Amino acid sequence: MKLMHTKLPDFYKKIKAAAKKLRPDTDFEVRGLESFKTAKLASLRVGRVEDEIFEITQDPGVKKVEVIAVPYNPESMFTIVVKGIQEDGSCKKAILENMYVSAPTEENELFGVKEIDDRRTGNRQ
Amino acid sequence: MSKFRYRIIPQGAADGIVPLNLVYIDKKDIDAAGISAFDACKAVGKALGDDCAAVNVMDMDAITVTSDGIVADGAVVALAAVDHAMMNKVFGFMNVSEITYSDKVIKDEPHMKQWLEDCYKGRKLFRGPNTQDRGERSSHNENMSMTGRIVNNNTGSETMNVVDMTEILIPFFGQYEIMTGGEVLIGIAGPVVSVGIGMVVSERHGRIFGSDNLGSYRAGMTAHNSGVFAKTVKQDYPVIASKKSVLAEYTLRALDIGLVPGKDIGSSPAVLSLAKAYGKPIAFDNITERAWIELESVGITRQWLKEAVKPMSRSEIIAHADEIIPGVENGKVYKVSDLVEFKEAEA
Repeated sequence: MKLMHTKLPDFYKKIKAAAKKLRPDTDFEVRGLESFKTAKLASLRVGRVEDEIFEITQDPGVKKVEVIAVPYNPESMFTIVVKGIQEDGSCKKAILENMYVSAPTEENELFGVKEIDDRRTGNRQ
Repeated sequence: MSKFRYRIIPQGAADGIVPLNLVYIDKKDIDAAGISAFDACKAVGKALGDDCAAVNVMDMDAITVTSDGIVADGAVVALAAVDHAMMNKVFGFMNVSEITYSDKVIKDEPHMKQWLEDCYKGRKLFRGPNTQDRGERSSHNENMSMTGRIVNNNTGSETMNVVDMTEILIPFFGQYEIMTGGEVLIGIAGPVVSVGIGMVVSERHGRIFGSDNLGSYRAGMTAHNSGVFAKTVKQDYPVIASKKSVLAEYTLRALDIGLVPGKDIGSSPAVLSLAKAYGKPIAFDNITERAWIELESVGITRQWLKEAVKPMSRSEIIAHADEIIPGVENGKVYKVSDLVEFKEAEA
């Protein structure tokens, strides 16, 4: 079971290593998951991303790899938890509220890209 | 590949007020070319290159219903968001299916008695998407298409650029005028419109709300439920509306058949002001206290509405609609022909 799951910190290490595998001086940036302190990712999919990063660097013109996580569903419903914290650090009362967060779709990261190779699984139009 | 024409109100139109490209495709034009709404929207995206747009596909033989619960000529039958020649595969396009006539629609949604009138009887009805049309949007608050910078929301009547945070409202009668080459009133939505758009009716598959179940907001309630802050929601945003005389005409049709604001149709400032001027009843006690707080914050008070006034005739109301119906700040009337460019795309 351990191998089926990749911890988030390990994901970051793996994808950075994949970016620098062919040319160690390749610049690297990952963004989009900053609000997750901890998460589990499917190792098979992490492995695919590692391979795809390595594949992207096959183009000798690539100087930097960017890996951006964009929510699949561009309007996410959040629960906002408002907590009043006492001096001793405890919380006597919390108020919950709905919040819809509408953010640009993945197309926002694709402006001007000449070739888009969509390997996502699932049924799409 | 076939060509078809589309209308575009470009970004910057109307003395710079329109913040983003608005595209309207007449279903007749794409049917004639054998092109689907989906392919047409994609083709417009490609035609616009690096630019972005909200795209509505319109069936002007059909009917729809405004957020007030007033039936209108024409309907949005598909909506899309396009950017940099892309249309998001899952969220970028939304079909709006026909709502077929049944006695249950009339029974469950009293404002739909308008559908029995000669001018609307037998015409196809489109309002908002059904569950299948919504697809993977089950968690979404409202009915929208999204691609890149553009969100085309509320079945095509509220559109925004979510990167530069500009936005424009195009209430349905404004879209009707765009499609028929009439005149539009363009200005800032302001506090009255901000309050008005929250005063919805209960429907299945409404333009804004309502799934397979009746929407939980009924006539007399406010969907904004924001007290004195409701008037701020769109107060700085532009709006493309019809002239108030057009809004008056359609609203009077609903009042003529005995529909009551706050009970059958929405209790927006516009509808309430028209009912007062026309001497028609208002369901004061059915309008909730939360709705009254919002209405009274823009001067639509119970006391004012209950003032004894000599009812005006239909023609008087239409002639004086600008004075009777509040809302839209610094509005200016534009000929649609001065705003719309006709272009061609290929699909």
